[in-house]
Amino acid sequence: MMRLVGVELTRLRWRRAVLALVLLAIVVPALIAASRIWATRPLSQDELDDVASMKAEEVARCVEHPRQYGIPKAHAEEQCEDLVRGWYYGARQPLSLSRERREGSGIGVVAVLTAFLLLAGTTFVGHDWNTGSMSNQLLFEARRGRVWTAKAVAVTGVALAVSAVVSTAFWLTMWSTMRARDIPMLDGALGDSLAFGLRGALFAAAAALGGYALTMLFRSTVATVGVLFGVALAGGIIISVLGIGDQWQPQKNVSAIVKNGTLYYVQPPPSCEGRVIEPGDDECLGERELPLWRGATYYGLALVATAGASVVSFRRRDVP
Amino acid sequence: MTDSPGGYVIETSGLRKEFRSRRGLRVAVADLDLAVPAGGVHGFLGPNGSGKTTTIRMLLGLARATAGTMRLFGEPVPNRLPAVIGRVGAVVESPKFSPHFSGRQNLTLLARSIGAPASRVDAAVDTVGLTGRDRDRYKSYSLGMKQRLAIAATLLKDPSLLILDEPTNGLDPAGIREIRDTIRGLGEAGVTVLLSSHILAEVQQVCTSATIIGQGRMLASGRVDELVGASTAYRVGVPDPVAARRVLAEAGFTVSAEMLVETDRPADLTQALGAAGIWLNELTPVRRDLEAVFLELTAGTELGGDA
Repeated sequence: MMRLVGVELTRLRWRRAVLALVLLAIVVPALIAASRIWATRPLSQDELDDVASMKAEEVARCVEHPRQYGIPKAHAEEQCEDLVRGWYYGARQPLSLSRERREGSGIGVVAVLTAFLLLAGTTFVGHDWNTGSMSNQLLFEARRGRVWTAKAVAVTGVALAVSAVVSTAFWLTMWSTMRARDIPMLDGALGDSLAFGLRGALFAAAAALGGYALTMLFRSTVATVGVLFGVALAGGIIISVLGIGDQWQPQKNVSAIVKNGTLYYVQPPPSCEGRVIEPGDDECLGERELPLWRGATYYGLALVATAGASVVSFRRRDVP
Repeated sequence: MTDSPGGYVIETSGLRKEFRSRRGLRVAVADLDLAVPAGGVHGFLGPNGSGKTTTIRMLLGLARATAGTMRLFGEPVPNRLPAVIGRVGAVVESPKFSPHFSGRQNLTLLARSIGAPASRVDAAVDTVGLTGRDRDRYKSYSLGMKQRLAIAATLLKDPSLLILDEPTNGLDPAGIREIRDTIRGLGEAGVTVLLSSHILAEVQQVCTSATIIGQGRMLASGRVDELVGASTAYRVGVPDPVAARRVLAEAGFTVSAEMLVETDRPADLTQALGAAGIWLNELTPVRRDLEAVFLELTAGTELGGDA
């Protein structure tokens, strides 16, 4: 078995399209990190001077045409100053690990890793079907279950290694940047971020395995990408149109996994109308928690079903 | 060489393959009984769509049989295929390799999957004459080179059985001769070769036995000389054909206008002519060739494409 895994790792290493996708899975998060570091950099003296200058110009315009700013002419001098001060506060939001996890680039990095590694898993084996070389491989190893498993181990292993390294590097870069800028951090902020990254890496590796399994089922990269695109595009809409709860939305469950739980929205029952919501009265809350285990179960079952169908199909169907 | 109690390397019994499609049920192989003896080169002949490739694909585990049983080296397949696949080298239809890898990379991956040493790749490349081009990308190969690479892949296993489906497709005359010599040599070395081919002259030159199928059924099987049949016609060359015709007719022989005599007693023929003072210039057995047998057996069985 290890010999077959070694062969598949070599095959993967020799495939340029797969290498290009893996490279993108490294480069794009690096660019995201760079852009976040740039976007949260402290203001320089020149920038502070520019802000002061722009503010002065705005105040002058306001004083000259106070009606355009909704201010009576009589109080233009003092009110314009107050109004414009809020517009040019002269600061950027500093880098924050918790903000990057909650609503920032963290989820973006997970999305990028997931997309590229899923495509890598799909492309890797789609090529075998497209060229017909799968049948040649089976003439040397007839145990189809072993062939499926060896390829799956190679794809998942590489995806997990790449995503774990990229995620860890991303969060360590963010953390070290904050330290270099003397930005205060909460205790455990780095640990939470690394755990966030690890959950994201596991999700990306599972997506690569899912992409591989689907391609082994459909025997075509194009068909797999088409189905995934259709599900991504129409899945959420169909769930909404059918009135199925928000907790079944694919993206909510991704958030639940990566963020270690998330909130989803529910319509409180009519009996809650006009009622004062007291602590513990969860039935009338518009938000509920979707825990990590629910998200993991959601995608875990989908992955097991896909992999199961893929293995059965590969073992039973004729190979062209 | 073979573990089969019957001495057969390949055996099928009642082998059947059906394909279901929107247009209905199509039977590609119908109750095929095939027996390929150990050693020698066995031809596997049939017109397009006769079920040759489908049969080969079922034997190699690439397609599932609808019914019937198959054995390789006496082992039931596909159940015990993993136990014997290491002794089987095969080229099925056109060569199928990764076009972006070099020929050597393709062979290396296959060799590693069976734990064969790198030296086996060198030897296989050398045997098929790809040395010097083995590091070029597969997609840059001519059809003949692709075919050679496919044969090189079969040699990685040091096989006891070679199954070759149209192995000389796309080869130039020199390449065809080389491959033919290679196949003949392998057969003489004790490797059993199942050679599926449309080139009947090639089969007749190389094969010791053959099976002819049509519409998924076996039409004839046996040694090539048996299939062609013992010669029963002789071309008679004499100085005086009119006198010879009269003498032979009196002796009970039937003589055609082309001076062909149907007989299984050529000695009696010479004796009759000699007794009449007519001496032979020529007495040539006129054999049917495999092509004639093939066309006779498969008349009306040709379909659109090979299955």
